[in-house]
Amino acid sequence: MNRITVPALALCAVAALVAPSGAASKGPAAGKTVHVGVISDVTGGAGVYGTPQKNAYELANDDVKSGKIDAGGANLSFDVQDAASDGAQVVNLMQKFITDGSTAIVLGPTLSGEAKQAFPLAARASFPVMGTSTTAEGVTAIGPTVYRDALAESQVIPTTVRRTHDRWHYKTAAIIFGDDNAFTKTDGDLFARELKAAGVDVVDSETFHQKDTDFQPALTRIESKHPDVIAIGALFPEATKIILQAGKLGIKAKMFGGNGLNSPDMYGVAGPAAQGIVVGAAWYSGAKYPSNVDFVKRYTAKYGKGPDQFAAQSYAAAQVVAYLVAHGATTKDEMTSALKNVRVIQTVLGPIGFDTNRDVKSSPVILSIVKDGFTYFH
Amino acid sequence: MFAQQLLNGLFLGAVYALFAVGYTLVFGVLDILNLAHAAIFTAAAFAAFSLAAAGLPLPLAFLGAAVAGGILGVVLDRVAFAPLRARNAGTLAPLISSIGFAIIVGALLRGKYGVDEKHFATGGLDTAPAIHLGAVTFTTVELAIFAAAIAMMLGLSWVLRATTLGRRIRAVAEDRVAAALLGVNLERTIAATFFIASALGGAAGILTGLEYNSVTLDMGSPIELKGLAIIVLGGMGSVTGAVIGGFVIGAVETLAIANGLSEWRDAITFGVMFLILVARPNGLFGKRALRQA
Repeated sequence: MNRITVPALALCAVAALVAPSGAASKGPAAGKTVHVGVISDVTGGAGVYGTPQKNAYELANDDVKSGKIDAGGANLSFDVQDAASDGAQVVNLMQKFITDGSTAIVLGPTLSGEAKQAFPLAARASFPVMGTSTTAEGVTAIGPTVYRDALAESQVIPTTVRRTHDRWHYKTAAIIFGDDNAFTKTDGDLFARELKAAGVDVVDSETFHQKDTDFQPALTRIESKHPDVIAIGALFPEATKIILQAGKLGIKAKMFGGNGLNSPDMYGVAGPAAQGIVVGAAWYSGAKYPSNVDFVKRYTAKYGKGPDQFAAQSYAAAQVVAYLVAHGATTKDEMTSALKNVRVIQTVLGPIGFDTNRDVKSSPVILSIVKDGFTYFH
Repeated sequence: MFAQQLLNGLFLGAVYALFAVGYTLVFGVLDILNLAHAAIFTAAAFAAFSLAAAGLPLPLAFLGAAVAGGILGVVLDRVAFAPLRARNAGTLAPLISSIGFAIIVGALLRGKYGVDEKHFATGGLDTAPAIHLGAVTFTTVELAIFAAAIAMMLGLSWVLRATTLGRRIRAVAEDRVAAALLGVNLERTIAATFFIASALGGAAGILTGLEYNSVTLDMGSPIELKGLAIIVLGGMGSVTGAVIGGFVIGAVETLAIANGLSEWRDAITFGVMFLILVARPNGLFGKRALRQA
């Protein structure tokens, strides 16, 4: 399916060109006020992921006002609240948004673990929520009002393994993954499953914890088993260190990872050591369709740094909500039923919809790190 | 592989030990836990980043930032500890006020630097030349970091043993009232203790930032609990104990991973510590070591 990604993007570009854009239309919600609750870890340990999310919603607020995002003339606003990387605060904020009587949908929280704490509240209250970065397994299974526009690792990792295996024909692999985070743990499990299914011998599996800085003992052990490739189940702060330290130890095995590695920091920080590393992801910053080019350009101008996938998926969620508002959904019940009937919405992630499990329907992109960015992996 | 793992453990242990000696020094003198030590570790790393970004050569940025860490330690004492000390507030109130100080420092750093990871333009692992010696590989940066950590710990030992300031610090640690009666300026000695302890803790932060070429707001959190574990293991207040404890923890962590038990790393580390404490409840070097240093 991923093989049609490039033509699909081209189609999307054409679609975006012919679709009306710019000036806001007057829809059934014109003049109405719609509040969207956003829960992000702007501060605390996950601040590095939540801050781009907050930035994206601020940009979306600007764009709704200017008409760049069409909300059908409604007065739509995204109210970003900081959960401070604290599970209890996530739950409190979710409770607040569900019961304040004016919020139509909640976007976020930032981490899968937080989602697993807070989404059950929403599910019990039949309140619509959408994760934008909560990609661990089982998140949308929490309830019938739980959606996500973030491509799950279970949708990304199999393709990443298959494409790299087709290309590199490796026979042995090692896995290094974080075992104290729902996202990276999912990566580790999926890599093990998919590599085995591809007939690859997993010769070593090493774990680490969030915020670890020293990966040399684990990498030294991996190197002693001489794997052909190393699969990395990490988010970029740890991934850059793994890659740098592997480079230092002279490890020559090819490496690949999932969504967690889709960040400008990969080439910006890990530098030459990161070149050639393959990243399976939900979004490509360099994708040429107009809404994405425009998003990347304006985000960079506003914040002095390019958006990462956390920002892109949040902006896409804002676009989805604006689309539903423009078509008349202004309350939580209208939002819930509108979400059920979504077919295809144009976003910075490309055209997306939702499947029967309320997971996003789109294709992963398989990227390769080059000197100053990413390119498609062929 | 074993030689490389041993080296990995030594490099890790050196920074742990450097962090822990400052931690334990304050405890040895004042009998209080300074829970802002990790915040100073982080703040000094950011200071080094700023100085290096402003064009200072790395050794100078390192020195400047370590001094900044020391000064922040003196501020910490004046703000969080001295007022409580003057009111004989016991040991729990300073614990809380040091946590408060740490949170404020963290918030200020976030305000100034944002949440993104910072990197030194040069001098990190990515640019340092690697040295291959038989079965082991290390970089000049790692070597310099190791040497700096050892030199600072030896320096501290010398200061405590052979200088007037060291004798004053040990006298205050032994008996604050008697030391004051004998003419030791208490507040000045305590300030000097905080300066030294915080400069060393800050230096550990800068070296950690350099070693992994990564300065982040939460870089202090993994070492905070380990540092506490190390000083308990070494014997509260014992500088020698903190050094040995640092290397023990570094070695145990590395060896756990080297033996394929990475998911058990922390459980093994703390398990080993528990066993040592069962055998020696006051830690490896008891509590009186600083006073007798």
